[in-house]
Amino acid sequence: MPADKYVGQSVRTIEGRGPVTGTSKYTNDFAFPGQLYAFIVRSPHASAKIKRVDLSGALKVHGVVCAYDGAQVAEHLNPLTHYIDPGVFGGQSAELRAVAIDEVWCYGQPVAVVVADDRRVARYAASRIQIDYEPISPVLEIEDAIAPDARAVVPGWENNFIMRVPFRNGDPDGAFARADHVVSTTVRIHRFSTQPIETRCYNAVWEHDTESVTLYATAQNPHPMRYVLSQILRMPENKIRVIAPTIGGAFGVKMHGHPEESLICLMAKLTGRPVKWTETREECLLVGAREQRHDVQMAFTADGELIGLRDNFYANTGAPSACPGWGMAFLTGLTMPGPYKVRDIDVTMHAVATNKPAWNAARGYGKEATAIALELALDEAARELGFDPVELRMKNFIQSDQFPYPSPNGLMYDSGDYGGAVQKALAAIDYEGWRARQAEGIRDGKYIGIGIAYELTPEGGALPGTMVSGYDSSSVRIGPDGSVRVLTGVTTPGTGNPTGIAQIVADELGVALETIEVTQGDTTTCPYGFGNYSGRSTIVGGGSAALAAQELRVKVIKVAAALFGVEVEQVELHRGIFSVVGDPARTLTFKEVSYASYTRAYDVASCIMPPLEATATFKPSSIRHTPDENGHINPYPSYSNAAYVAVCEVDVATGKTNLLRFAAAHDCGRVINPVLVEGQACGAVGFGVGGLLFEDIRFDSSGRQLTRGFMDYVMPRCEDIPEIRMVHHDSPNPDTYMGLKGAGEAGVGGSAAAVANAINDALRPLGVALNQLPFSPSRVWGVIQAGTAAKQNIGEAA
Amino acid sequence: MEDLLTQSTLVQLRVNGKLHELEVMPFTSLLDLLREELHLTGTHMGCMTGHCGACTVMVNGRIAKSCIVLASTLERAEITTIEGLRTADGKLHPVQQAFWDEAGFQCGYCAPGMLMSAVELLKENPNPDDAAIESGIAGTLCRCTGYRSIVRAVKAAAVRMNSPEA
Repeated sequence: MPADKYVGQSVRTIEGRGPVTGTSKYTNDFAFPGQLYAFIVRSPHASAKIKRVDLSGALKVHGVVCAYDGAQVAEHLNPLTHYIDPGVFGGQSAELRAVAIDEVWCYGQPVAVVVADDRRVARYAASRIQIDYEPISPVLEIEDAIAPDARAVVPGWENNFIMRVPFRNGDPDGAFARADHVVSTTVRIHRFSTQPIETRCYNAVWEHDTESVTLYATAQNPHPMRYVLSQILRMPENKIRVIAPTIGGAFGVKMHGHPEESLICLMAKLTGRPVKWTETREECLLVGAREQRHDVQMAFTADGELIGLRDNFYANTGAPSACPGWGMAFLTGLTMPGPYKVRDIDVTMHAVATNKPAWNAARGYGKEATAIALELALDEAARELGFDPVELRMKNFIQSDQFPYPSPNGLMYDSGDYGGAVQKALAAIDYEGWRARQAEGIRDGKYIGIGIAYELTPEGGALPGTMVSGYDSSSVRIGPDGSVRVLTGVTTPGTGNPTGIAQIVADELGVALETIEVTQGDTTTCPYGFGNYSGRSTIVGGGSAALAAQELRVKVIKVAAALFGVEVEQVELHRGIFSVVGDPARTLTFKEVSYASYTRAYDVASCIMPPLEATATFKPSSIRHTPDENGHINPYPSYSNAAYVAVCEVDVATGKTNLLRFAAAHDCGRVINPVLVEGQACGAVGFGVGGLLFEDIRFDSSGRQLTRGFMDYVMPRCEDIPEIRMVHHDSPNPDTYMGLKGAGEAGVGGSAAAVANAINDALRPLGVALNQLPFSPSRVWGVIQAGTAAKQNIGEAA
Repeated sequence: MEDLLTQSTLVQLRVNGKLHELEVMPFTSLLDLLREELHLTGTHMGCMTGHCGACTVMVNGRIAKSCIVLASTLERAEITTIEGLRTADGKLHPVQQAFWDEAGFQCGYCAPGMLMSAVELLKENPNPDDAAIESGIAGTLCRCTGYRSIVRAVKAAAVRMNSPEA
């Protein structure tokens, strides 16, 4: 890497100054003259008929401007438009309303809205609304929902399956018939979610002169959100502007489909004043994710080759919603069998509707569940059959010379070296050293465990017929003063991609990084784009900005050549200075050439067409939506992957896990900014560790959510995350700009599975293991006690 | 609401060096006062229960979570918010500079908690080890970074503040 390139360097982020000075403006920091505040009344029941809504008490409160129930809202709003409609893929769709009309189907569902000139007044007035409910016995768990006599959560549905999809390849029955060993494991993943520290917020401003609405929103996908709003609000897209200001973390929960988005716009339209709604933490915790049950069967030969995989799995996706959360279950099935070469597979995905609150997308988008299910089941097999867990994986990985590799489900893995990454991760943590310490520890009554796991995380996904798109666009504009503005269709939730994109543009254009400003998240100024999801922002945002910059570089070089009076081949451009090859004394500044490009269009700059603006699209060529002969598509251009190793000590008296060390070897393709990539990877480890050990959204038997704040939803703090050794094992993607792969999503499932496997490894001397998340102290203590009791019983029986 | 107005309290407090005299309601939190009355929106709301730390400020030189402090209890208090960390000439505090240079944050929403905690920690312990840093910032949740970059930034800040030029 030449030292004079920005790409590859850990440059400080352009956008990083705002947060440290407190000057960044997040959505909730905007307030407009005449600002009103909305409060949403939510169902206290998981399932109930709404008999009557009486708003009169709220309307009497001084300061209240309006209040509406579901039927009144429905007069103005169409049903919510799905981000990903299950109906498009042959599943069951429900008609979704912003505010419930006759029936509620989950705890926390909106049933009325109050708007007042003070948010405390709105909240108080909401308590004066009287609603008569007739509760219905709720369907809460997977087992209840799939029972033959289960009540349909959505009236009119035949059953509670949003979608059932088989992922079958080869001859799985034959593989199981000839197997020497079959290991069955049930892996249960609990409900845990993303919980960015900034909750959602919408502030809708009605523009009287143009009869249009501007929505300031914690939105990951402003343009697709504008489309959805246009459908729901019955307004053309050109009357709606969505602005996503600085975002305080998103991780999927700020993808749209939430009822509040269109509801707040409607309140602004009906009152003619700005209306703001800020989600409380309790409301944020209503958004679920990840809850799945996997019944995994693995067929092995005597020497440990995995020859067959069955996984019948169920995802409790909660009540139907317009958010894209349910699609996570589809991805869990599609990305089986991860990094392993087994081809005879029989996997069936069931996305199940229940009376729990709905999911939204959560970092990993179902691919974390693939890793958790496979990696826990592989360790179970290693324990049962007496294999070393590292050896068992090495034996079954796809080899580095097999790429591009078509997975049994038709995904085309671009590149990788899974075995090499495991070796790097083991070396980074000193695996042999820890094995020795483990053996010593047990003599002193210390239960040390070492766990490994692998995660394959396809990134940059595109689903046909939806606003989950694989391409994106950027514009680059050079002003007459030589300053550069980049406008992108991708957005940032705070990951640093604007700086990564600016680094790419600075190199491609030949200017100093400091001369570049990046604008994102405004549907009126930015090119049409799909925003932030699936680790795509640098792949397609950076790729498209590079193409636009290349186009402009050609133009400014032409003008510079004309000004110098030489051939274009003789012009060099570096860090904003043009020079003539062989005559370094002759130079022009970027400003001089830019100014001439605009002002001398009829003489020296007539060789180009002004202005110095270009828009380009990066459309990864490896995405394929035309089904092949097996009916398979390849929705991903990029297959990031990583090996994780965790070392922990379990206190067998309390069941508490103390994480001692963590290492990962990450393959995210070409790295633009190492420190930012590492930040992404470490953040994902925080998600995995928190989800495995602490975070848990729980309900009582009537379906009321018990987890309502950070007292109950315990997220990891600094002391809970050990030192993370992050090493790179990058193989460039042959199909993307500069070999980028994406770094945003990988790590949640792999790190959770590594910690789970480490805990089970620590518990091995006690003869117990656990495959049900979370591995909370009480649950770990419980299996230790049950194991001890079982041993005593055996002892007594003998 | 009119009845409530009779219950308001007059408080004098100094925020980032500037004296304010304000009528506050008995239920007004310091967070609301800062954000809504004084328009200091650098202090953030994350949970309203004192768990996340995004609302952290200094009250009389000690860190406090402004969402669970009632403004009416702060008579003659000296408050410093994230906006007040910079010197009068606009120069960044060494802790701010270190967090920026070291990519301590990603989204930066937790910045008030992390920066204020680090400033307090380094005042009391100029050479903190990892364990001291971990407990020093334990009151603030970060969801983006996995905390390792934050520990790195605090260490870098300590080095800067201990160097003679600082």
